[in-house]
Amino acid sequence: MRIKLTSIMVEDQDKALRFYTETLGFRKKHDIPVGEYRWITVVSPEGPNDLELALEPNANPAGRTFQQAMFAQSIPLVAFEVADIAKEYARLKALGVVFTREPAKMGPVMIAVFSDTCGNLIQLYQPA
Amino acid sequence: MLLRNDTLSRLCRARELLAEAPEERLSIKDIARQVRISPFHFIRQFEALFGLTPHQFRIRSRLDQAKLLLAKGQHSVTEVCMEVGFASLGSFSDLFTRRIGATPSAYQRRARVMVSMPGVLPQELFPGCLSLMGCLPPSAFRNFREASEPGASLECGNANQANQHYGRGPG
Repeated sequence: MRIKLTSIMVEDQDKALRFYTETLGFRKKHDIPVGEYRWITVVSPEGPNDLELALEPNANPAGRTFQQAMFAQSIPLVAFEVADIAKEYARLKALGVVFTREPAKMGPVMIAVFSDTCGNLIQLYQPA
Repeated sequence: MLLRNDTLSRLCRARELLAEAPEERLSIKDIARQVRISPFHFIRQFEALFGLTPHQFRIRSRLDQAKLLLAKGQHSVTEVCMEVGFASLGSFSDLFTRRIGATPSAYQRRARVMVSMPGVLPQELFPGCLSLMGCLPPSAFRNFREASEPGASLECGNANQANQHYGRGPG
C-alpha cells in the first residue's frame, strides 16, 4: 500500500487549475473529461513523481458544507512544504494571494496560511 | 493582502448571507453594512479571498441551487426559477444554459435518467470524494511521462460514454 494521491475540493475546476499552476507553480499531470466535470491532477515540478493532488469538483452539497465550515474556522485542508517560507510568502503576496496568517514559528516549523480562491485555506510550512 | 481573523469571519458571514433564500436576500451594500466593512473594501476583499465578486458568487449560488432542485425532480423549471430568486424565466434559462451547457429542462431530463433511488442525488452530477476515478483510463494511473502521451485521454471508455450522455465535450 502506498500514498500516491490526495485531493482537494474546488469550487471551479478551471479557476483552480489556473491558480494551482499559474500562481502556485504546480504542473498539470492529468486533465481528463468525466461527464460534466474533469479529472484534474497537479504535481510539484520539484517532485513530479511525488504525491498527485486531484482538484475535485465540490458539487456535492455535503462536501460544500464541510469545505465552507472548515474555511470559516480558519482550518487549512492541505499543507505544502517550502524550503524558504519568507521568499514564498513574498512571491505569492506579490501575485495577489490573500494570506490569513503571516509566516510565524510554530513549534519546530514555520507556517503561513493563504486562500486558494477556490474555497480552501492552504498551509505552507518550512521544516526547521 | 493579509486578512485578520475577524475580517475572515465577517467575509464568511457575508458569503452565507449571499447564498440565503431569495426572500431574505439583501443588497450587496446591505450585506457590506451588516458585516461592518465599507462596500469598496468588502467587494475587493471578498473577491481576493473567494475568487469571485459578491455578485458573481450570488449568481453561482443561485445556479447551484437550481441544479440541485432540478436534479431532485420535484419542481418544474418555472418553480425552480422562482425558488432561487430569478424574476424572469427567460433570463434564468439563458444564464443556466450558458453556464451549465444545457437548458434547465434538458438538465432535469438527464438527471431523471440517472436517479436510481428517489431522493438520492445522481453521482454523475454530484460526485463524491474521488468517485470520478472509476471513469478514468488506465493511462491515468501510469507515471507522468506515459500519461502525457498524445491520445491518452481517448482511452477513457466510461468518460466518453459520460460525455455522450451529456451530449457535450470536456467541460
